[in-house]
Amino acid sequence: MGTVIEVEDLRYTYMENTPLAHQALAGVQLSVEEGECVAIIGHTGSGKSTLIQHFNGLLRPQQGRVRVDGQDLSDPGLDLKGLRRKVGLVFQNPEDQLFEKWVGDDVAFGPLKMGLPLKEVRDRVRWAMEMAGLSFEAMKDRPTYALSGGQKRKVALAGVLALRPKVLVLDEPTAGLDPRSRKELLGRIEGFNRREKMTVIFVSHNMEEVACLADRIFVMAAGQIVAQGTPREIFGNREVLLQHRIGAPETVEILYRIQGLGYPVDVGAYELDSAAAEIVSILRPQGVKSHGPGI
Amino acid sequence: MAREFELTRNITVGQYLPTGSFVHRLDPRIKLLACGILILAIAFCNSYGGNLIVLAFSCLLFRLSRIPLRYGLSGVKPAIPFIVILAVLQLLFYGDIASGGRVYLEYGLIVITSDSLRLVIVSALRFIEIIFVSSVLTLSTSTTQLTHGMESLLKPLGYLKFPVHEFSLIMTIALRFVPTFAMEMEKMIKAQASRGAEFGTGSWWQIFRRTKEMLPIIVPLFRVAMERAEDLILAMEARCYTPGGTRSRFRTYQTTFRDGLTLLFILCFSLLLWMYPFPY
Repeated sequence: MGTVIEVEDLRYTYMENTPLAHQALAGVQLSVEEGECVAIIGHTGSGKSTLIQHFNGLLRPQQGRVRVDGQDLSDPGLDLKGLRRKVGLVFQNPEDQLFEKWVGDDVAFGPLKMGLPLKEVRDRVRWAMEMAGLSFEAMKDRPTYALSGGQKRKVALAGVLALRPKVLVLDEPTAGLDPRSRKELLGRIEGFNRREKMTVIFVSHNMEEVACLADRIFVMAAGQIVAQGTPREIFGNREVLLQHRIGAPETVEILYRIQGLGYPVDVGAYELDSAAAEIVSILRPQGVKSHGPGI
Repeated sequence: MAREFELTRNITVGQYLPTGSFVHRLDPRIKLLACGILILAIAFCNSYGGNLIVLAFSCLLFRLSRIPLRYGLSGVKPAIPFIVILAVLQLLFYGDIASGGRVYLEYGLIVITSDSLRLVIVSALRFIEIIFVSSVLTLSTSTTQLTHGMESLLKPLGYLKFPVHEFSLIMTIALRFVPTFAMEMEKMIKAQASRGAEFGTGSWWQIFRRTKEMLPIIVPLFRVAMERAEDLILAMEARCYTPGGTRSRFRTYQTTFRDGLTLLFILCFSLLLWMYPFPY
């Protein structure tokens, strides 16, 4: 397992050399290993979106270095098309980007642009749609405008998956979805990472999502990575949470409150089951750890 | 290449650059009037001397409003092809009409005289001056101020049943959405590029190919525009907007002594440009 994305001292300024110049990235250091699932969190305007646009070469580094799968993005002779196939980027509210009349055609857009034979395109569309949770047979001939918001988002996701990327980058994938679609989509994303061995990088404001999905978390503020670590390291560290005003998952909040009342609990136990076990352990005076089912 | 997608920087129309200068603080109605008068004077001024003075004056306006002259020049840049084509046409075919002065060249239909040469140079200068002056106006006045000023100035037309308010509302909405759609478009281009789209790969004569490449942007953008329009209607109706209703305004403009003085100065300056017999 090698490093798939490596960012060194990356700086980026929008509208450079104008009075409206605005520095979005101020020296970002980050590296993502192959097969990882990484969350990037931070407040609005902290530079998350600018950072992820560097991963597939939509933005080129103004200063510093970005290496994706061994390729240097500052190299003027870079194969951008190849890079964008390798790193699939799904924007926020991607359902806006559908433009073909039929679902199947829209998903096929990327593979067709790659110049693949029709048979292969069809296979890829089938695979991508099933991966995104759309039945190929039932959905491929539906008009895109007649879909629900959640279905449109799946179609857009399938459109990127059809490129068969090694790395999948998602900008707030679940924003604006109802709880059920949200849960389903999260399950899908987890599947891409665990079963299909894709490297997944996602931006999110929802700490529950981050806690249940991410192997590692990067916290961004003012164009820099201010903290990084496993969910346990980040959520179990009160100073970091307070200093950067990061909300914690509800489980962690509850554990902190219990700790504040003077009970000995492990506040890093952010997962639902382990948080429940912690609570059960203080309810039993003998301190016997529960082995019963979760909540 | 790094600037591949930075669209917003290319749009200077309606871009407001708040520097808080004297020019920014003027009454928008006065600014509009003064700008109109000045442009009229420029249109009538056909001497080298006069035009050089106006050019210097418009540069001074940039100084006065604390806006870098670069912004004015970036407005001139897209107009250069027009200026050049105009100049070539005038140079080649205006010898007969502006036939005064010395004849430099006579070849068949093509006659170049000192008067036609003057026309060419003065036209180009005028073009640049007008762009400069109007750039100062748009850069120093927010779109809301501009449209309110316009509405206020056009009010007398209301007596002739001209729908002044509706007109200014359309203007406000149109200008308001220019940067929004530029941003939407930037996002759309990036999203489609992320799934393999390419733009501008064909040569300029392959119009069909190039147009087809734009479809993944145009279609969604059109739909987004429609959706935004619907949202806007809903938002306006939710706040009880009624066309033709009497409306008060949050910000009222007060013309001060300073504004009057500015207008007077521009008026005198324009009259001078128009009337004064410049030797060149």
